[in-house]
Order: sequence, then structure tokens, then C-alpha cells
Amino acid sequence: MTLPNSRFDADLVRLGAHHLEAFAAANADVLLAVLTSGDGFEVASYPPNQTMTPKIAAMSSSMQALSEALTREAGLAKNRNVIIETDSGTVLILGLAGTQRLSLAIVAKSGELLGKLLWASRNLCKKLETSLQK
Amino acid sequence: MSIASELKIVFTGPMGAGKTTAITAVSDFPPVSTEMQNNDQQSFAKESTTVALDLGQIGLGDGTVVRLYGTPGQERFSFMWEIVGRGSMGVILLLDGTSPTLLADLKTYTEVFRRIAPDQPFVVGVGRTRPDDYTQIDACLRVIESLQFSAPVFSVDVRKREDVLLLIETLLATLEVSQPEFAT
Ligand SMILES: Nc1nc2c(ncn2[C@@H]2O[C@H](COP(=O)(O)OP(=O)(O)OP(=O)(O)O)[C@@H](O)[C@H]2O)c(=O)[nH]1
Ligand SMILES: [Mg+2]
Repeated sequence: MTLPNSRFDADLVRLGAHHLEAFAAANADVLLAVLTSGDGFEVASYPPNQTMTPKIAAMSSSMQALSEALTREAGLAKNRNVIIETDSGTVLILGLAGTQRLSLAIVAKSGELLGKLLWASRNLCKKLETSLQK
Repeated sequence: MSIASELKIVFTGPMGAGKTTAITAVSDFPPVSTEMQNNDQQSFAKESTTVALDLGQIGLGDGTVVRLYGTPGQERFSFMWEIVGRGSMGVILLLDGTSPTLLADLKTYTEVFRRIAPDQPFVVGVGRTRPDDYTQIDACLRVIESLQFSAPVFSVDVRKREDVLLLIETLLATLEVSQPEFAT
């Protein structure tokens, strides 16, 4: 497996890639899953080496930061996720707990029920959070 | 009377030029910020970097409210330049006088933001210059001329409120001259 980013700890990259691959295997409608640093660098992705991945990584970190800023301005508690629904698919952006401020972007084609996708994506976040703490 | 009740201006320029610092220095309230830990210390060694935008606001004595937008500097976030730049009435371009890419940055950002909002005036602020050294300022002015454009260039320290105010006031004055419908 190619390691997309030498900027980050090799264990983090390997672990991320492993979890993303398992997630995509279990959720057939997922087109792309990207684990992204707070400042928009790809940490790991599945499928790896897609042309659109760097841009999705940068854009999802901007969206995540904007939604956090909006949450703060609105006086709401911690932002959890951003959901974008389109006619042909869904994009989810989920913030991971932890000091690294990682986030997860999931692109899925329509078909998957949103609730199921959200549930599976949150589970993936929890798995990533737990294994990153170790 | 005010030149307009509400104006949008955009601070842009490369990573580390000081867009976030400048907006923070003058904003009437703590700016909306999208700072994240910087994982690209090679490009610019600093703690955090802007990943979406900065948004501050300054009220002028005559009742005009100036909304201060800042862009991210890193190329990776260039899609935000278009989004933040749209509808702006003027640009404050901040540059790092010690950067080897000073003049290339000047050219790139001028071209990009002139394309986004063609007739808007620019004011350029060059940071980290020695007060008695006009080398970079002169070089910038020559580049601007070669682009068949005109914009005042100042040596600034964006950490100083009065320096940032000078840039904003100059931009607003240019706006009044170039678009007299804003003056009443
Ligand atoms: N020593 C020195 N530091 C300066 C000067 N001007 C700006 N700085 C510092 O340079 C840094 C600029 O950082 P930011 O304001 O985050 O820069 P930015 O343009 O918003 O960068 P990005 O959002 O990453 O594109 C701050 O730490 C400032 O204090 C100067 O004239 N001298
Ligand atoms: Mg900034």
C-alpha cells in the first residue's frame, strides 16, 4: 500500500488507511473516504491515489472549519458533522475528537440511506479516535 | 454622509504575509477565524494557518461599516479565493518583503483578484522591510506598472493597528475617486 503523506506519523497513516479500507468494503455506496488534517492535508484515503482527493481534503477542512466557526457564532455546543445532500449522492464531513483536529470526509452515491451512512461513518470516527489514542 | 453603508474589502496574499494578523489588529470585535494547526512548517514556520477565511469588521466615524475578509494564503485553498473575493470592492494585498517569491506573489495575486472583480482598486502592503530601504517597494511598483495597473505600495507592520488603518483608509479614498457614485 502506498503511503500518501510523509508529513504525518507513519502509524497514523497506516492505521487510517486500514480503517478506511474496511469501512469502504462494508459500505458499498461509498465512493471515497478521506482522513484529513485540520489544515487540509490528506492523511489517508480509500481508494488511494484518486485525482480528486487532495482537493476534497482541502475543501472538507475548510467546510469543517467554517461550520465550527458558525457553530461558535450561533452559540451552539461542539459541532459534530456537516451533511451535504445532492440528487446523486451525499458528502459527510465529521470532526474527530482529539488535539490533532482531524476530520473525515465521506463521499457516497445515493442509494445508501443517509441514516445508515451517518451511523456507519460515526462508528468509523469512533474506531479511529480509539486507535489514535493508543 | 457615508460613502456607502456597508463595504466589503478583501485581504489577500501568500501564507504568512499577515492577513489574519492585520484583520485582528483592526477589527472592532474578535474576528471569525478558521485557524488550524499548521502542518506545513517548511512553507512558513508558524503555529497556525487559515483554512477558510477571516472575517472582521470596522466601523468608520461616518457610519460606514467595512467588512474585512481574509483569504487563506496557501495554494491548496485557492478555491476559497474566488468565494471570498466575489463582491469585494477593493483588495489589500499583503506581501512578505523578505520572501524570495515577493514579486511572483505580487503578480499572481494581482492577476487572480483582478479577474475575480475586475475594476476594484488595490492597495499593497509589504511587510518585514527596513523603514529606510525602498528596494522592495520600488521593485513592486515596477511590477505593478508592467501589469498596466496602478496601486499604491506601502511598507507596513501588520501587527500595528495604525499601519493596517492606513491601508484601509487609502483603499477607501481610492474607491471614492475611482467610483464617485460611492461618495455623497
Ligand atoms: N517579526 C515580524 N513578524 C511579523 C511582521 N509582520 C507579521 N509578522 C508575523 O507574521 C505572522 C503572520 O501570520 P498570519 O497573520 O497567520 O499570516 P496569514 O497571512 O494570515 O497566513 P495564512 O493564513 O497561513 O495564509 C504573525 O505571527 C505575525 O506576528 C513583521 O513585520 N515582523
Ligand atoms: Mg491567515
